[in-house]
Amino acid sequence: MTEMNNNPGEIQDFAVREHRSLWLDAWRRLKANRTAMIGLIVVLIFLLSAVIAHFFWEYEPKMDLDYSAKLLAPQLRVSEESSKIHLFGTDKLGRDIFRRTVHGGWNSLRVGLVAVSISLVIGGILGLLAGFFESIEMYFWESLALMAILGLALGVLPAWIANQIFQVLLFAALGVASVIVDKTTLPKLTRRVLFGGLGLIIGGFSGLLVAPLVGLICGIVGLIIGVLLSLPVGGRPFSNIVMRIMDVIFSFPSYLLAIAIVAFLGPGLEKGMIAIGIVGIPVYARLARSAVLSVSQKEYVLASQAVGESHGRMLFRHIVPNILSPIIVQATMGLANAILSAAALGFLGLGAIPPEPEWGAMLGDSYKYLSSGAWWAVLFPGLAIMLSVLGFNLLGDGLRDALDPKLRI
Amino acid sequence: MGRYILRRLLSVIPTLIGVTLIIFLFQRIIPGDPAVAMLGEHATEENVARIREQFGLDRPAFLDRDALADGDLAGFFDSQYIRYFNRLIQLDLGESIHRRIPVAETLKERFPATIELSLLSMFLALLIGIPVGIASASRRNSALDGITMVGSLVGVSMPIFWLGIMEIMLFSVLLKWLPAGSRLSTGIEITSITGLLLFDSLLTLNFEGFIDALQHIILPAVALATIPTAIITRMTRSSMLDVLQEDYIRTATAKGLSERTVLFRHALKNAFLPVITVIGIQAGILLAGAVLTETIFSWPGIGKWVYDAILGRDYPIVQGVTLLIALIFLLVNLLVDLSYAVLDPRISYD
Repeated sequence: MTEMNNNPGEIQDFAVREHRSLWLDAWRRLKANRTAMIGLIVVLIFLLSAVIAHFFWEYEPKMDLDYSAKLLAPQLRVSEESSKIHLFGTDKLGRDIFRRTVHGGWNSLRVGLVAVSISLVIGGILGLLAGFFESIEMYFWESLALMAILGLALGVLPAWIANQIFQVLLFAALGVASVIVDKTTLPKLTRRVLFGGLGLIIGGFSGLLVAPLVGLICGIVGLIIGVLLSLPVGGRPFSNIVMRIMDVIFSFPSYLLAIAIVAFLGPGLEKGMIAIGIVGIPVYARLARSAVLSVSQKEYVLASQAVGESHGRMLFRHIVPNILSPIIVQATMGLANAILSAAALGFLGLGAIPPEPEWGAMLGDSYKYLSSGAWWAVLFPGLAIMLSVLGFNLLGDGLRDALDPKLRI
Repeated sequence: MGRYILRRLLSVIPTLIGVTLIIFLFQRIIPGDPAVAMLGEHATEENVARIREQFGLDRPAFLDRDALADGDLAGFFDSQYIRYFNRLIQLDLGESIHRRIPVAETLKERFPATIELSLLSMFLALLIGIPVGIASASRRNSALDGITMVGSLVGVSMPIFWLGIMEIMLFSVLLKWLPAGSRLSTGIEITSITGLLLFDSLLTLNFEGFIDALQHIILPAVALATIPTAIITRMTRSSMLDVLQEDYIRTATAKGLSERTVLFRHALKNAFLPVITVIGIQAGILLAGAVLTETIFSWPGIGKWVYDAILGRDYPIVQGVTLLIALIFLLVNLLVDLSYAVLDPRISYD
């Protein structure tokens, strides 16, 4: 601007603009979004207070007990009832609720972060691979590896039935053979018969060494495996298998499954993290797969394929950076959900083990003496859950707007 | 379309088997001996043996290779999972460990309470969510729109168990306006026809009963409806906004049709498809949310029951309820998919 004023005769070329990265652009848009900034500030307050409290404000939940100060209403000043200030009041055991809420944040947020990391890493990688191989043809050795793994996995059943580990290797070899034979052209039916027969021989003869009936069953299973392996499968069946498994997990309402898993595993913060993490996997797998599918037909991916870049390079230099924004948005929103689920588990007594402070568990605890009218014991932990979840949701909403490439000029 | 429906129906089968597999695997992740874990440390030998026998815990999990090696083909397939699956097909969900009552029987008894609560919550969510979503889309960036957006975000972020507790605190403990817990006051009786008390009391013209049942259900229903209301509002709004930008809406407005006609006759019909998907997903989430809501309000449905079962480590109940909710979730989503085929003739399925 100043340059223009200094040289009024010069024409500025608007087409040549200072280079701005996508992330810088996104950050500028995010900064301009008021609600998103409120969300960001709320999230930072919670994160910072939890971390600072955990490392610099000592708290020993097992020693925290003071019956003389039980169920005190919130007060801002020292009174004759209590010599200490209790900003949020005290609970039934005379524990300061403010202190426990701040310390509880460490546990609640940690569960959310770990759970989302689990689902993000596992789901993201599965979805990435599924989407990538569904749209881009495999290399010879990749197809070799896939068929070997497939043969190995399918071979487990007859090998287990006959209690002969070597069968697994034979079926893996059959898978490898199927890729190699691919070079020569055999009619489809011939291949099916050939490989089915080989499978029958592998399973049947090995099984016969154990017992006649084992030979029969293993032979039938081997025949089926042989036919399945007769044509080298591309990425699509792989993607199908992965996504069908995801569908099964997805067919449970998410936190019901988490509750059920922890109900059987037994309570505990770590188990809650794992359960909530597992339940979240399909969300990221589906998202990553569909994002990869939409990106992989773009010119820049086709171009990198045409110049012969390796698959690893295509994935990490061209595809991953371009599918990152929907995943970041989902992860932010996912954090909100994970915190809610963790609190629900805690409330049901399946999360943190008392007296460890955790927002959901604190609510579950205060719920038991609801009739005493101690509203502060209920209000503050719940408010902490709601505000932190709201913060992540606001931030996620803002991120979606900020990262939406359609808005980028 | 017939072929599409058939294919979609068949596609449910592998998922169904997967669901039963996961629920079956639950009992294998119990740390230690499941039979002892089910009965507690001090269980008698005899009881442990009974449980092992009853659940077939002495059998292998999936297939019995030793039986096959001995030439016993039937024994090969006689495993825990196959037995479990066979029982499921006969609608046998096992027995409660503590009370020794078939799970399916109690389920039948308790399910109407959950259904009633979920239906009323869904009704509330639709009653509020759809009109507010439409109004907010048609007055984009107005004050109403702003309040709706903030309100729906708060709603989505709401821990419903906390909301429930706060409702009890405010309306039952402090103000004493509404009762908290159970479905009816003592002394009030409603002849049971469908098991849905609100419905039954109206059918039998029992207005006293109706008012009492309504007073009991309103707090839990509001708590349970919060998240679906927020989500349906957001979805209706954004779907309407998309549709309102279409050319045919501009044409309709240009023809001089009233705003009401444009909104309800032209826009709403086309905006409804994504909303239906969300409603389907919410139906399953409502049932799952019932576990929390019913626990707080001592609502005698399957949610409260499963909570008690979790505390008492009564595993067959947890398995049975989880299975039932997953099945309903699957069924509702199937119906949503099929309704697409009917509602949107543009989508071709063959």
